[in-house]
Amino acid sequence: MRITKRLAVIGGFVCALGLATLASAQNEAQQFPVATKTLKNGMKVLVQSDHSIPNVALYIFYRIGSRNEHPGTTGLSHFFEHMMFNGAKKYGPGDLDKVMEANGGENNAYTTQNTTVYQDWFPRSALPLIFDIEADRIQYLQFDPKKIASEREVVASERRLRTDNDNGGLLDEQLWATAYIAHPYQWPVVGWMSDIEQWTMDDLKHHFEMGYAPNNATMVVVGDVTSDEIFQLCEKYIEPIPTHAPPPPVTTIEPEQLGERRLVVHKPAELPLLMIGYHVPKTNDPDFYALNILRTVLFQGESSRMYQRLVDKDQIALDVSAFVQPSFDPTLAIVVAQPKQGIDPAKCETAIYEELDKSKSALISDQELEKAKNIRLVEFYHEMRTINGRANTIGTYEVFFGDYTRLFDAAKNYSAVTKDDVQRVAKKYFGANNRTVATLIPDNEGKAKQ
Amino acid sequence: MRTVNYFAKALLAACLVFVFCAAGSAQTLKLPPHEKIVLKNGLTLLVMEKHGVPIVSFSAIVKTGSAADPAGQDGLATITAGLLRKGTQKRTAQQFAGDLDFIGGSFDAGADTDYTTISAEFLTKDIDRGLDLFTDAVLHASFPQAEVDKLLAQSIDGVKASKDEAEAVLGTYYAGYLYGAHPYGRSGGGDELTLKRIQRDAIVKFYSANYVPSNTILAVAGEFNPAELKKKLEDAFGAWPAKSAPPVAIPVPSAAKGKRLLLVDKSDATQTYFEIGNVGVSATDPDRVAIRVVNTAFGGTFASILNTALRIDSGYTYGAQSFFQQQKVAGPFVIGSFTKNETTVPAIDLALKVLDDLHKNGLTQTQLDTAKKYIKGQFPPRIETSGQLAGRIASNEFYGLDDNEINQLEAKIDAVTLDSAKQIIAKHFPNENLVFVLIGKADEIRPAVKKYAATMDERKISEPGFWPPVK
Repeated sequence: MRITKRLAVIGGFVCALGLATLASAQNEAQQFPVATKTLKNGMKVLVQSDHSIPNVALYIFYRIGSRNEHPGTTGLSHFFEHMMFNGAKKYGPGDLDKVMEANGGENNAYTTQNTTVYQDWFPRSALPLIFDIEADRIQYLQFDPKKIASEREVVASERRLRTDNDNGGLLDEQLWATAYIAHPYQWPVVGWMSDIEQWTMDDLKHHFEMGYAPNNATMVVVGDVTSDEIFQLCEKYIEPIPTHAPPPPVTTIEPEQLGERRLVVHKPAELPLLMIGYHVPKTNDPDFYALNILRTVLFQGESSRMYQRLVDKDQIALDVSAFVQPSFDPTLAIVVAQPKQGIDPAKCETAIYEELDKSKSALISDQELEKAKNIRLVEFYHEMRTINGRANTIGTYEVFFGDYTRLFDAAKNYSAVTKDDVQRVAKKYFGANNRTVATLIPDNEGKAKQ
Repeated sequence: MRTVNYFAKALLAACLVFVFCAAGSAQTLKLPPHEKIVLKNGLTLLVMEKHGVPIVSFSAIVKTGSAADPAGQDGLATITAGLLRKGTQKRTAQQFAGDLDFIGGSFDAGADTDYTTISAEFLTKDIDRGLDLFTDAVLHASFPQAEVDKLLAQSIDGVKASKDEAEAVLGTYYAGYLYGAHPYGRSGGGDELTLKRIQRDAIVKFYSANYVPSNTILAVAGEFNPAELKKKLEDAFGAWPAKSAPPVAIPVPSAAKGKRLLLVDKSDATQTYFEIGNVGVSATDPDRVAIRVVNTAFGGTFASILNTALRIDSGYTYGAQSFFQQQKVAGPFVIGSFTKNETTVPAIDLALKVLDDLHKNGLTQTQLDTAKKYIKGQFPPRIETSGQLAGRIASNEFYGLDDNEINQLEAKIDAVTLDSAKQIIAKHFPNENLVFVLIGKADEIRPAVKKYAATMDERKISEPGFWPPVK
């Protein structure tokens, strides 16, 4: 058993930036230490006490997602996320939600390419109950064929909602499927519809055994608790769960992309849509910070270069944005532009490339660099202002950077980014050979099918 | 998109905000103290200190919203709000964006049916610069013609883009079909035709008539020295010239009689999106707390009666919920869900059956107790941040609700009994009289859904406007 109590404080981030030190000094309440403990079975637990509201946010991050799947069983991680609410031994089908709500709690979960994350939000009075529920479902999940059949339908409905009947979701799916030819990021988290319809009971059981080991999970608890009481609850409920082998490592490395890839989707639509994906490194990479600064300068706020160019000056797009999600393996930075009606998406494409080229051929300004750093600071505060935001952020740093204390180095790391770094990453990652361009073209008469 | 996580159990949080606006946690829940000051020019200031992170949140309400849009110019209040930051007496739109982004500030303005909201947040250390930006936009917007043209063109395309997503426009069709000519039936953001009619003159007129101190509430919450902040606010807003705004009269809507159905054809839909309901209650209805309790049990949580039937037990849908949207006068009551084309009828039949059962059987003691505990347990995170608090005290002030709206809620929730719930159901949950709006593939579902209503209307989603059709 290993217990470490760190006095790493949220305020540390602020001081490191040399900003708002006065405000943070005034504010003792902001300084919440994180206590950590690794249970005998390998699960790491992180606790941050905050008594400002009588509530608790509890997150469990399992390091299993669609990257651990295979053709034929795509979407299993996400399906599992659903099944984890459908009954175990002590809390049978339907009981989990009923009992949790009857005690003032609620829950949710999300699945990504990399992780499956369970979230509970509840008044502190429900603390022992939540641990009882979590321990029950980690160990004794039921596999009732009737429940599986009905949940299959729910997941299919979710897929129709977010992908098949959503132009953005549909184009995004096609983009990943084209940008990756070897690595598992090529298939959708929700799964291909034919896989959703055909997983077998064996597939499900195997996936559960593989992914849901305590040593493959990290728990984060933030709110009206003490670390001692959480560690005691963990000893009682979580520690007895036996450890076993985690999912086998994902060994496939996506080969370097050697030329631009393009795809077109024709479907009935009011407006076209454009997405451009560039291969960028995994989250835990030294270029993470410079890439984030570049993204901020180019895409964030109405003063950003892309907004100024496409939305304000040329008036060819309704909006333009870019995002990268946390990842264990090299991923995509995706640019999304919503062209105005009657505008050829190619026009938006050209404008985006021209702005990217400017960030390669000349350094960004001092003012832009400082603005980007200020925006990152404010975003940090936004994540830190709720118990829920802190649980998610602490967990994300622990899981994707391998150490939650990296959260407290973020300011230093952003501070260290120079204009040259920004130019370097612009040149390194945003070339034509490294991009996949996806376009949705409205086809309201079904002409393209003929 | 990939940034959207695949939530197992999303219950449309945006809607639920309306449902759960009231509750109290057992021992501790209380609205933090705040001060109300009315300046000589009539501006109402609400100031609340709230520590946690060094952020100051502004939430202003201009007591005129899209319900006051002139007929045929739906979207005027929304466009006016959207233009506040797009050019002022001393800043161009670009300068405003540059100054705002440089300090990592946020500034959002938009119109609801009842009022316009302008919210902004800044770091405490940037309060002077933030306040300068905020007052510049709210008091000194200049509405440059080029920016007016730009925003109108973008908004028209924005309406079209939203029609590519049935879920995004379902509520607008529903409000239009339910309320008809009543102001609550209009599209707050306008539509492809009404936006084309809006001229700069009308915007300037709307702004100068309604953006006046006596018609405005400004709530500020966050980390600051209250005495210093009050002085700053008085300096910034004291010179705003006093003027009275035209009163907004929103007639009390009458509930729909009988049954009618609007089918909106979206030819590529593989899923039918539906809303069913009638006119509900106002934000100040004396039964509002009891209604929230009953609706929480009926359709306000994951394990609610409705979601249990349509999702958990049958697998018809990813989610089903109900809510009362409480506005100045009676807002809509909505039962909403979606299901694949083939199960459209069984899913709607089931939704109607559980509504019918609610009337026949009422709630069980367990359902009632769960709803009470759930509302209380989930309330504290709803007033956790300075932004949430500023927004809440501003809207309470607008509706004339005092702090007891929160401070006495637990007692009011506890007072709901099975018998009073039964009365609430009979009085406020529709049964015989229902309006249906469906967006889906008409050719596949038309024949089967005719049975729900004697009157059935139909239009294509690509036709400009929502409902009623524009002549």
